[in-house]
Amino acid sequence: MIRCQALRWGAPGQPLTPPVNFELSTGSLTAVIGANGSGKSSLLKVIAGLQKPLTGKIFLDVSRKGSLSFLPQQQHLDRQFPISLQELVAAGFWGSKQSPDLRNQRLKTALEDWCLSGLAHRPLMALSGGELQRALLARMSLAQAPLLLLDEPHAALDELGQALLWKHIHAWHAKGRTLVVVCHDLAAVRQHIPHTLLIKSSGSVLGPSTELIRQQPLTQVA
Amino acid sequence: MLSAPQLWQPFHEFVFMRRALLGGLVLACSTAPLGVFLILRRMSLIGDAVAHGILPGAALGFWFAGLSLPALTFGGLGAGLSMAGLAAWITRRTGLREDASLAAIYPISLASGVLILGIAGKRLDLLHLLFGSALAVDGPTLTGMLWVSGFSMIAMALIYKPLLLDTLDPLFLQTVSRLGPVAHGVFLTLVVLNLVIGFQAIGALMVVGLMMLPAAASRFWSHRLPVLIAIASMLGCLSVWLGLLLSFFYSLPSGPAIVLVAGGFYLLSVVFGPVHGLLRRPILPTSQ
Repeated sequence: MIRCQALRWGAPGQPLTPPVNFELSTGSLTAVIGANGSGKSSLLKVIAGLQKPLTGKIFLDVSRKGSLSFLPQQQHLDRQFPISLQELVAAGFWGSKQSPDLRNQRLKTALEDWCLSGLAHRPLMALSGGELQRALLARMSLAQAPLLLLDEPHAALDELGQALLWKHIHAWHAKGRTLVVVCHDLAAVRQHIPHTLLIKSSGSVLGPSTELIRQQPLTQVA
Repeated sequence: MLSAPQLWQPFHEFVFMRRALLGGLVLACSTAPLGVFLILRRMSLIGDAVAHGILPGAALGFWFAGLSLPALTFGGLGAGLSMAGLAAWITRRTGLREDASLAAIYPISLASGVLILGIAGKRLDLLHLLFGSALAVDGPTLTGMLWVSGFSMIAMALIYKPLLLDTLDPLFLQTVSRLGPVAHGVFLTLVVLNLVIGFQAIGALMVVGLMMLPAAASRFWSHRLPVLIAIASMLGCLSVWLGLLLSFFYSLPSGPAIVLVAGGFYLLSVVFGPVHGLLRRPILPTSQ
């Protein structure tokens, strides 16, 4: 559960919206949409505790450390960093108390799930943007956090990768995890995500995706 | 060139050579992982900054206690740590890039050092402080080096995982653990500690060479972090050993001899290294 009370966020002295109230229930799957610069990514960071809200409060029903997974939008990962894809994915085990055998098994499954098995020992330098994105998603699936925040997870993914992504998002949703997904692809939101939080400079609206995004949009709203 | 027995004979024969060798070897092993991580954190030049920043502390120590080893060490340690700590704090609180914040603090520190020496009216041998002499490693200095190096290697092993993640993906680490700032702080402390203990032996600026050159060279030999650290330690040890021999047989100053041997290894790696060395293709773009 995520409850925001009179929340304002943005750069100091420049709040992006008037005070906003909303509540996302446990196990919900919500899209965040809005124009560029409306504060979607910052909102995720504020929820993740990586950025302080200007005013107002956020309540989470889970602790921020360990129970929350955040997939940031632009990966400023150093591609020359001398580790392999498998080592990057295995970081998702941080703090887990599972036995090494179980971990190996889960790591193997996660790599297979995200079509990364053949790339396990590749250095980061030799990965494409989409492969790296899938690796980060695989790391997220190992962490088993009850609250998942994804900022444009479909960016850099090809059609196959996007299909894989939606499949996993539905699977996570079915397992009762709470998901918040920033997404520009309104058609995909309408099709895959039941609830939408629309952020505008005049405030925010939370409602069923099919109502908020009424007609099939002709183009993707940037 | 040197014959095979000559490679060991000076160390067998002279206590001061044995001490210099032992001190240099442990220093090479403990600075190797620090250098590798400094490069990964894009802080390669920080070693230089910190080495200069040690000066006011050492100068204060000299002012109050004269040329005494503990006074210089603790003074240098205090100045180095407060400088690195202040810079790291400013970075974490304001988002100023770490290299910029250190680059801003270190001239302040260096200038205060020179000012203190000026006010004190005595002349501490700056050259000795900056370039040191490996052949003057005495018993207490060696003991100090062994303790610091041992402690530093154990501490690095303990913070290895969080430091790796804090370096690669700090946002991720922040969402799973509070250890990021701890690992960062311990790491900077170890850098200062090694530079301070090293400046007694081979000089503040020369330790920076021993820390960074093998680390930079190792990047041309592997894609795997543990291997990089092992190669850097090995190259560091070889440099100390060959450097001391050169210094012994050709009467060269020991610090620069060690660093220049390390520099030679670095240049060889740039040319012949299998990972993007000059003779290898394809050449990858440097950004990303």
